[in-house]
Amino acid sequence: METPDSSADLIATYLPEDATEDIRRIVTTRWLMGGLVLAATAFCAHVLRLPLPEAGLYLTGLVILAYNALLVWLIRQRPLRAGSLRWTVDLQIGLDWLAMVFFLHLTGGITSPAIPFFVIHMLLVTILLPGRSAYLYLGLAVALLSLLALLERSGLLPHYNVIPALPSELYRDLNYIGAQVGFFTLASCAIVYLATAIMARLRERERQIGALFEATQAVSSTLSPNEVLERLARNAAHALSMPGAAIRLLAEDGKSLRLTAAYGLSRAYLDKGPVELPRSRLDREALSGQPVIVSDAPRDERIQYPREVEEEGIRSILVVPIAGRRGPLGVLRIYSDKPNSFTLSDAGFALAIARQGAAAIENALAYEALQKSEQARAQFVRTVTHELRAPVGGAQSLLRVMLRGLAGDLTEQQRDILNRLEVRLDSLMTLINDLLELAATKTAILREPLIEMPLQPVVQRVVDLLTHEAAEKPVALTLEMPPEPLVVHATEEGLVRIFSNLIGNAVKYTPAGGQVQVKAAKVNSGVEIRVADTGIGIPADELPRLWQEFFRARNAKQAGISGTGLGLSIVKQLVEQFGGTIHAESVEGEGTTFTIILPLREK
Amino acid sequence: MAKILIIDDDPDMVLAARLCLERAGHTLIEARNGTEGLEKVKTENPDLIILDVMMDSTTEGFHVALALRSRDPNSEYAAYAHIPIIMLTAIHSTLSLRFGPEEDYLPVDEFIDKPIDPDDLVNKVEKLLNKGK
Repeated sequence: METPDSSADLIATYLPEDATEDIRRIVTTRWLMGGLVLAATAFCAHVLRLPLPEAGLYLTGLVILAYNALLVWLIRQRPLRAGSLRWTVDLQIGLDWLAMVFFLHLTGGITSPAIPFFVIHMLLVTILLPGRSAYLYLGLAVALLSLLALLERSGLLPHYNVIPALPSELYRDLNYIGAQVGFFTLASCAIVYLATAIMARLRERERQIGALFEATQAVSSTLSPNEVLERLARNAAHALSMPGAAIRLLAEDGKSLRLTAAYGLSRAYLDKGPVELPRSRLDREALSGQPVIVSDAPRDERIQYPREVEEEGIRSILVVPIAGRRGPLGVLRIYSDKPNSFTLSDAGFALAIARQGAAAIENALAYEALQKSEQARAQFVRTVTHELRAPVGGAQSLLRVMLRGLAGDLTEQQRDILNRLEVRLDSLMTLINDLLELAATKTAILREPLIEMPLQPVVQRVVDLLTHEAAEKPVALTLEMPPEPLVVHATEEGLVRIFSNLIGNAVKYTPAGGQVQVKAAKVNSGVEIRVADTGIGIPADELPRLWQEFFRARNAKQAGISGTGLGLSIVKQLVEQFGGTIHAESVEGEGTTFTIILPLREK
Repeated sequence: MAKILIIDDDPDMVLAARLCLERAGHTLIEARNGTEGLEKVKTENPDLIILDVMMDSTTEGFHVALALRSRDPNSEYAAYAHIPIIMLTAIHSTLSLRFGPEEDYLPVDEFIDKPIDPDDLVNKVEKLLNKGK
């Protein structure tokens, strides 16, 4: 297997805040200890009247407070990173111990009642220094204590007998010294051992929580599904401190697992061949819903490729199913280069990561399915377009040719009938086009992407196109727009459709001599476009239903104006797709005003 | 006056075109699909081609146009690449197809939207025939 990311990276990912918190707490405790030394000295000297070397003890207390302050200043100077962490720890322990030994010396050396504090300080050391370093420091502590006892015994250092009731030669008794040092060592070992185990478990939990957090972030990020799965594989491996992991998904036929993402595995191993379910009992078991732990991989009969596994250096494997809502999607495998690496709680954690993977995979699959169905639908629309339009277009062409007299002269009645046919066919063609537009508008997902574009050129173009038609009736068509570009988030085609429809309708439903006014203006953070006509209007009770598909107001039908009733529903959908709102006001017999507000994009 | 080849699988459209163009004095030859159309280009050497955009398959019209106007100097249709082509389309804004004679992709000279307007067809035909002269 390949070498994993450096452990410094791991620490940096999972420990910085935790370490800073611990150090802050230790600093606070040290304030207390320093203060306590001063207070206790004063108390013992003046209240209990014990023969304490006051000056030395006050000095010790003050020194403790002083270097604590120095430490606080240093921490503020530079933020703690994984690299700089180490030297502050050594420095703190060093200074603490100097103070401690001095304090012990001044309070009776080996007979000092404060020796238990030294034992407790081991706890602090274990918190700050994971693993074997704590034991090294323990050895150092035992050495220091023994040294202190022997120096005092030999007379090289003075001895302060602070508890008068104690025998004055006790400090020189080798048995006593032995007993004190012995119990100190045992007690410290016990503390270091227990604390190390607890710290290890804490750190593991932190790593796992960190990995789960990263996993949820990866899943909800904008990465492609494959990238998400690559991250999950890496997360899973790191969190359990393992060198490799892989995610394999069930193929469509349900008979094999294809490789989707891997971490820490060699190319040769990944290319070994397809994983077929009938030959891999390991994966079959996992896919049935249970996590599977393989403690000795090369010798396990459930594996399909034992030789490749051995060559890759894999000694134990953890396999968990990735469970989707409708059944298993695949497996997550974590590899270790040591046998018996995995426990049930590891399996539990891997299942949690696999659950994140399931969410990502199902999202991706759903999106793919959606795209396929959208493509199928778009294709259907295109086919129907042709199949419906071709025959109608053919019929219309022939009609026009006949009406032009190109197939012979026509009687009045024949001409009349042909005209009626033309009207029916024209409506049919319009209806087909509108229906197809509606179908196209509703498939929002595969549409053209929205772009930022100025509004005015589109409105101008539509008005230009309709000028001829308006002049024929006649209806006065006017346009007012500000000169500076009003930028909206839309598609050109959509805007053309909206305004062709609204302005076209306005002209269509306004009788001769009327007027249609189109005005656009900036309003707050949006652009407001009003299309106002002096047309037949919409009855008040029918206004709410205006946007319904196929709805036509009764006065429109009565006026004999043709229409499909689809235009406004299309317009409303488009306006809403562009993030805007549309509103209609009308008085029957006087006119109608449509107001569109679209959000403005600052250029 | 001119010999016009129409390549279209819709017999009604062909009839409509025939009535317009024969009245204007032209001769009309028809082909029902792309393959037949390309053969007739070679055998009849028309003065103008009217081509439907979609026939049996969705891109048949495009393929005929591309074959006729192929850039390959060894193409079997090289001698016919100069013949003006009018394309009959069902362009509608929903399809949002934007191509014109300048477009590299579709080398035709004019477009006519279906259903055809007889005057429009005759005018465009005359215009293209006169351009050639």
